[in-house]
Amino acid sequence: MTVKDADATSTGSDEAATAEPTFDRRGFMVLGAGGLLAAVLQSARPAAAQSAQRRGTLVIALDISDATGLDPVRVYQYSNPLPTHAAYDGMVTFDPGDSVNLKPALATEWAYQPDGKTVRLKLRTDVKFSSGKPMTAEDVRFSFTRQLNIKDQPWQYISHIEEVKVVDPHTVDIVLKDPSLPLMTIIATPAFGVLEKEVVIANGGTDAPDAKEKDKATPWLNENSAGTGPYRLTGWQRNQQIQMVKNPNYWKGTPGYDRVLIRHMSESAAQLLAIQRGDVDVAFNLIPEQIATLKDDPNISIEGMTSLDFIYMAVVEAPTNPALQNKLARQAIGYAIDYDGIIKNLIGGKAVRPVSFLPVGVNGSTEALTKEIGFREDLAKSKQLLAQAGMPDGFKFALSYGNAAIAGVGYQNLAQKLQSDLARVGIKAELTPMDQVNMRTMYLGGKLEAALTFWNPPAPENWLWSSATINRVAGRVHWKVPDDVRKLVADAGAERDLAKGAALYKKYQEAMVDAAHHFVLIQPVYQVAVRKNVTGLKLTAAGWMAELGGAKPA
Amino acid sequence: MIRYVVSRLVVSVAMVLLATLVIFLIANTVPGDPVLTALGDMAASDPAQVAEFRARWGLDLPLWQQYWLFLQRLVHGDLGVSISSRRPVLQDIIDYAPATLELATVAFILSILVGLPLGVLAAVRRDTVIDHIARAVSLVGVSAPTFWLAFIALAIFYGQLNWAPGPGRLDAVSFPPDRITGLLLIDTALQGDWETFHDAAAHLVLPSFVLAAATLGLITRTTRAAMLEALSQDYVRVAKAKGLRGRRIVVGHALPNAMLPVVTLGGLAYANLLAGAVMTETVFSWPGLGRYTFRSAVTVDFPAIMAVTAIVAAIFVLVNFLVDMSYALLDPRVVKK
Repeated sequence: MTVKDADATSTGSDEAATAEPTFDRRGFMVLGAGGLLAAVLQSARPAAAQSAQRRGTLVIALDISDATGLDPVRVYQYSNPLPTHAAYDGMVTFDPGDSVNLKPALATEWAYQPDGKTVRLKLRTDVKFSSGKPMTAEDVRFSFTRQLNIKDQPWQYISHIEEVKVVDPHTVDIVLKDPSLPLMTIIATPAFGVLEKEVVIANGGTDAPDAKEKDKATPWLNENSAGTGPYRLTGWQRNQQIQMVKNPNYWKGTPGYDRVLIRHMSESAAQLLAIQRGDVDVAFNLIPEQIATLKDDPNISIEGMTSLDFIYMAVVEAPTNPALQNKLARQAIGYAIDYDGIIKNLIGGKAVRPVSFLPVGVNGSTEALTKEIGFREDLAKSKQLLAQAGMPDGFKFALSYGNAAIAGVGYQNLAQKLQSDLARVGIKAELTPMDQVNMRTMYLGGKLEAALTFWNPPAPENWLWSSATINRVAGRVHWKVPDDVRKLVADAGAERDLAKGAALYKKYQEAMVDAAHHFVLIQPVYQVAVRKNVTGLKLTAAGWMAELGGAKPA
Repeated sequence: MIRYVVSRLVVSVAMVLLATLVIFLIANTVPGDPVLTALGDMAASDPAQVAEFRARWGLDLPLWQQYWLFLQRLVHGDLGVSISSRRPVLQDIIDYAPATLELATVAFILSILVGLPLGVLAAVRRDTVIDHIARAVSLVGVSAPTFWLAFIALAIFYGQLNWAPGPGRLDAVSFPPDRITGLLLIDTALQGDWETFHDAAAHLVLPSFVLAAATLGLITRTTRAAMLEALSQDYVRVAKAKGLRGRRIVVGHALPNAMLPVVTLGGLAYANLLAGAVMTETVFSWPGLGRYTFRSAVTVDFPAIMAVTAIVAAIFVLVNFLVDMSYALLDPRVVKK
């Protein structure tokens, strides 16, 4: 051994002895590693991407991290109504682009009975569940009763239902405890879809009065569905994907795709790359700048849909700030904001603005009405109001917001824009950014002076917005709601005639502008990128994002 | 030796408990209220529903009692139920951990396979081209923000060149294998599904390189420094004087002595990879523990936060423990002391 080593040294320097063989081997290893890498990557993609299987699959990129459940009775977040609506039908629905006029779905007609508190619904007779079994009135009764007894979050919107009764196999009665509250618009949303009674019971479900404790079907319904919708849920890997297959028994005809995959992509940049590459067909969470880069892509079309969501500034009659307790001072804020500039510069013009807390598109809220009775930029009027309020030099208030962005609009940018707008009349907004959850905690506790935040509705029902503003939202801004406004909201909610309702809601919006607690700034027109190999996909503002039933390969 | 092992174990358990206590106290001091993230706007404003929610999740109990309950459950292996996912935290973690474990392990192997030889070479060939290259590689790896690196890698190799597959663990149309371990490479291999194996491996390439970058840099630099020190020792001079071959000196004499700091760092780096892949997981839509932890923190999901803390603390302590044990093997002096 020593001899051999001694021999080695005589052949050259220390360095050379190590260098030569190592270098060769290293080069070999690098080549080997490179080859391995190439082998791993090579052909992994094209074969899969071009297969017939891929063509029969609609792949949707969406941030689904908020979803906690796909059992309809527990669906109340932002992203889960999309798959729930694809798996279940309700009694009635809304057509894309129309959030005012109800359309038939499983029910062909519905009418209040002479007693004034019973709604009688006639059901379609040709509807089958994905299992192939026909849908009957008993399934409808079971679904509503289970919902009423489980009492999870969607329940609170229909807690004024007394009971649901089967009249005959294709007729049900919904009896209300409080007939002055609206019903049909609310039950159009996916949380009130009809489930197949037998299947739910077979998987641990129950509609008994103690269903809150006894119903065990949710885990199964999180990964399977028992509905009449175009697609059937077959799996949900949390934070990863939701899988659906077509329902061959769908009552509107065979759906266009064999499978639907909703892939979780929380990063909009990843969604952008994936839709450019064709790995996904629809991208929901792109921000305006990313949408702009897709404008010239021949394979992608950009679909827009005015949402019913909005970003608003709430101004609180804070005990800490006497200026904000003065209505005229708050109104002065409303006239000092450059509304058009916000929409043009912060969201690329892709937004509208309602008068107040009723988004454009629902009954009695239009953009024209905003021009007529809403706040507008009018600095002279703002200064005049400040003078009337006894604060000709303006005042100070703290504007809080979360470290977040909605529809690609960062609250920080919006707050800075408002700060500079208000400074023009001498109102100083002191910006106080904070963590989103902390912000919400403080705001709901009524502890802020002003907040930038966001509102998205569970259903396109005016009363859900208007009653919120005079109840819980009023508490947050310390508004002592006058009795006539309360009466107005109650009357408008109970009005079953759309035109008369619209007239009442106009008065309500005037009252909201006068009170000047809520300044609605941006109601986004959501921009969704869809590859051109998909046709018939209709976006909707009603709360479930899109109608997947009509989508098919081009 | 046994006494050493036992004393280390006792300290380890105490460390894990201490870590959970600290996190519990911190999580309880932030003003954010878990009720508000878990309930919708209407329910969150209804005192009755809020009170019921607090009672159901034990949030109405005094702090010390909440912590005591947590400890009691922990002893029974029960990590509680997540407020935001409404499932047992253990089930969530079983779902998410394999994705992270797979990614972190591949990234760790990559950083060792590349970092260790690169560090040794850089030391042996100090101030040559290879040393400079090693320095540049580790500098970029350590200093480039993971988030940025992930996007750049994705934009170039997926978006532009189309060499690598996109975000996610599998292609959209690949069916995941039946779950055995949750590690896709192992599950597909066990089931002989080589097509999906290939798909999973291809999806691992980009994120594991991105995740490995920082670790790789650290390992390279540490190996180089440790090797330089070892190479300047008397025994190396003696070995040279004896006329031993260069490679023998490097691999046989200097390297084992240089390994101590590298093993320490490697252990901690692996624990870090397991616990700190949030950014990489976000960009690559990787359904792992990092994303889960992040979301738990954002939604003030106490049971999930506590469970993840306990697990991460346990990983660190375990890795530290293993590192200490390997010291005992690598360097007999440790035990004698």
